[in-house]
Amino acid sequence: MSIADKVTRTLAELGTDPAALYSELGELFDGELRQAGAPEDVKHLRDRWLGRKQGLLTAANDHWLKAAGREIKPAVGKLQNTLKTRIEQAMEAASGRTQTARAEPPLDITLPGPVRIIGARHPVGIVLDEIEEIFRSMGYSVYEGPEIESDYYNFEALNFPEHHPARDAMDTIFLTDRMLLRTHTSPCQIRIMEKQRPPLRYIVPGKVYRHDAPDASHSPMFHQVEGFAVDEKISFCDLKGTLDHFLKRLFGPTVRTRFRASFFPFTEPSAEVDVSCIFCGGSGCRVCKHTGFIEVLGCGMIDPAVYGYVGYDPERYSGFAFGMGVDRVAMLRYDINDIQLLFQGDARFLSQFR
Amino acid sequence: MRILLSWLREFVEIPESPRRLADALTMAGLAVDAVAQEQGETVLELDVTPNRPDALSHLGVARDVGALFGLPVRRPQIRLAEDARPAHERASIEIADPDLCPRYTGRVAVGVTAGPAPDWMRRRLELCGIRSINNIADITNYVLLECGQPTHAFDLDTLRGPRIIARRARSGELLTTLDGVQRTLRPEQLVIADQDRAVALAGIMGGGETEITARTRNVLIESAFFEPASIRKTARQHGLHTEASHRFERGADIEAAPWANDRIACLLTELAGATVLRGRLDAYPSPQRRAAIPLRAAAVARHLGVEIPWDEVRRMLTSLDFLVEDGQVIPPAGRLDVEREIDLIEEIARIWGYDRFPLRLPEWSGESRPAENAAKTARVRQTARALGYDEAITYAFLSPAEAGQFGSWPAVPVLNPLSEFQNVMRNSAAPGMLRAIEWNLNRGQSDVRLFEIGRLYQPGPQGHAEPPVLALAATGRAGGKQLDFYDLKADVGRLLALFDGGVIGLDPETEASYYHPGHSARARLGGQAVARFGRIHPDLAAERKFRQPVFLAEIWLDRLLPLPLREPHYRPLPRVPPVGRDFSLLMPDGVAFGQIVEAVGQREYLVRLEPVEIFRGDQAPPGKYSLLLRAVWQRDDASLTDEQVNQYALHLVETLRHRFGAEQRT
Repeated sequence: MSIADKVTRTLAELGTDPAALYSELGELFDGELRQAGAPEDVKHLRDRWLGRKQGLLTAANDHWLKAAGREIKPAVGKLQNTLKTRIEQAMEAASGRTQTARAEPPLDITLPGPVRIIGARHPVGIVLDEIEEIFRSMGYSVYEGPEIESDYYNFEALNFPEHHPARDAMDTIFLTDRMLLRTHTSPCQIRIMEKQRPPLRYIVPGKVYRHDAPDASHSPMFHQVEGFAVDEKISFCDLKGTLDHFLKRLFGPTVRTRFRASFFPFTEPSAEVDVSCIFCGGSGCRVCKHTGFIEVLGCGMIDPAVYGYVGYDPERYSGFAFGMGVDRVAMLRYDINDIQLLFQGDARFLSQFR
Repeated sequence: MRILLSWLREFVEIPESPRRLADALTMAGLAVDAVAQEQGETVLELDVTPNRPDALSHLGVARDVGALFGLPVRRPQIRLAEDARPAHERASIEIADPDLCPRYTGRVAVGVTAGPAPDWMRRRLELCGIRSINNIADITNYVLLECGQPTHAFDLDTLRGPRIIARRARSGELLTTLDGVQRTLRPEQLVIADQDRAVALAGIMGGGETEITARTRNVLIESAFFEPASIRKTARQHGLHTEASHRFERGADIEAAPWANDRIACLLTELAGATVLRGRLDAYPSPQRRAAIPLRAAAVARHLGVEIPWDEVRRMLTSLDFLVEDGQVIPPAGRLDVEREIDLIEEIARIWGYDRFPLRLPEWSGESRPAENAAKTARVRQTARALGYDEAITYAFLSPAEAGQFGSWPAVPVLNPLSEFQNVMRNSAAPGMLRAIEWNLNRGQSDVRLFEIGRLYQPGPQGHAEPPVLALAATGRAGGKQLDFYDLKADVGRLLALFDGGVIGLDPETEASYYHPGHSARARLGGQAVARFGRIHPDLAAERKFRQPVFLAEIWLDRLLPLPLREPHYRPLPRVPPVGRDFSLLMPDGVAFGQIVEAVGQREYLVRLEPVEIFRGDQAPPGKYSLLLRAVWQRDDASLTDEQVNQYALHLVETLRHRFGAEQRT
């Protein structure tokens, strides 16, 4: 029998301890009060409990208190009063709460809030940070070297002979005969190896310069990340595994990598690395020029001739090196069609990266 | 390099489709950029890396195809019918400078009929991008595309004297080359000469006076080997880049020189009615022999990470015309890129196939360190962004005018600038920021805040320095109001406060003429100037046609980054709330807020002194301004009574009255 039914019987009929009955009745009220939210709910609750005819509390007063035997009547009266006071107070509080909220007209929530601007990260910076994070997690340290370099570090010690056509591939901006703006961040390989012994794992992010007239895909200044590892027993398979892992983390686990034989004076064997097109997945589209692949970096096993410049024993140590254009990765990732956008400081462009 | 599939097929059977062939070549280092159909021919566009001059011909590419697919390569057969008259009666060769010309071969063909080459030959040349000239020149070019050896044909009757000399030019010697340009030669440049004069710029371009013409009857064919670096230097000095120089500077095949000569002679008899005199002239004072290179299986495995069966190694190298014997390998004469064991290992890897090597991750134990100052730069960057500035990157070049106007040291000049506006390295971050502001204002973007972290470039006694700098630029509205000097001041203050360098001080002298005097300041940290900022000078703004105030800040990170970042330090929270009082004061004009703060000084329980409102003009009597000043007192351990605070307030107002003649308004 529910407590709502019990209030229609007398205590004598129920034969239960009145304190337990009142407690049960109180719990029912508490539960219903918790459910009540809207002003209508509160009104309904008041009628159900305090109504003069059908109110539950009125029924308890009539059937329990009025019909109670003389010896228990004072105790029952006390129980009845305590509960009544409690319910009345609760009802008052509940109706007051809804009335205060109703007093304030509702807002037009479709109006915009004031936008507090948090400045944008530069897209190149976003990609650089990500590359750095991936290689840091693989144990690589980060080094930054000078942008104004000597011919020795930029070319000679990287096994670019003075009158060699390999230098043509890097149209160089010179400051003097022997000083230039680095054409790649690879000179830092030499700078680091001169000062430290293997095992080494480094990446070198930074600005590099080429004598290229600016257009949608060329810029005289851009960004590169050079990386290298030197240790005993590093092989071409390690190079492939490391870069495959890196590129899957950068471009997503579904990309496939492709290593093609190529030539760089400071690596041998050398390779160009392609990833399956991140736009079409390899079926061919405008971005990959219908080849299914996008070239993303150059790499190779460090040429033993380079070790000669830093005094490493090429019979003991081997290693690999790679270099990647960061701007191009940012352009691929964000579908940016003009490299000049990266260096104009156009707020309409930059704010898209907030 | 354009390769015709039909021509390639003359030397090697190709079972694969053009697409598969292109892929295989690309993977093996001869990148095929495009496979095109032109005039019914399949044309492969090869991008040949500078180490592979041997692949700059159809036979060269055929050799790689043969190695990749395990197919034999057929060279064209030469059946040359020579005349009984000996060639050496008509011409002889002298190599005066064998260091620059180790080998020179010649053949004499007489009675040629100059005219157009046959259609099939002209078509092949043109498909390969070489303009047809006449049958004699076309034959030399055809053989160039066939085997890669550049050659040259002289009109024998225009040569003075029987002797051809390969020698260094005389200083100031003149030569008019085939392109009609008269060139002044330098003594380090190699020429081909007759007894009187230079007749060709060796290995680069022939001379106009000895050129083949319609009247040419007798021909001397040159096929030689020239020292690569010398060709490259000379070609560069004359601003020339020819099919011949392109190959010679990369390294030709010294053993192919006589073959190419014979091949041309043969084609001249077949296609130009020539009679070839007996004997090949061949000056080769010290014949070269390629050194044997030891190849160890262990070294192959160490570099490549995979053990490749020796039989396979032998097969692959042999198919590339290497001689393999007892762990020794002799490369062919045309593979000047192969000199060391590692070069052989590369050949093995690329023919084996890069895609066949498994993926592996190298073992590692050790730490990973960030770049120097990375944490500090990251905080600066994060704070600038939090203050609402977008990160920009601008070019590191300036025009000399900009460098002069904004820089505080002579800018590093660029030797070969891209343009006259980019011919020095930046010595100030201001021009780049102002250009960006200008760019935005010109495009209707009037609310802009940018920052850049970059380097400046400074000449120094021990080489160049590249001090890092942080620049801020701001204009327009932000946070619902027009930006002003104080916004910049607060932002710069925030950035400087990242560093634990002592008290931030300001002085009104920026020492930079592009700031608005009186609306700009220099900031010091621990006594050292670390930044300057403010509104740009009205003259500069007018020059740039800025119609709204533009603000700039330059923060010298090279002075900040050596300082530690400020570490937070906890102080126990006060148990009672602070007590504030506002004072409405009339201050004489010219009393700076800083003077008021200084005059009040350190006082017991006074924790803050701030200007709430300042009125000038109508609302204040002449010579005065109205200041609503708020002072806040707080005692950590107990409440301050009203009486005490009244006492402090009275004393404060008294001090200002005494020092400045301040009046309290009622």
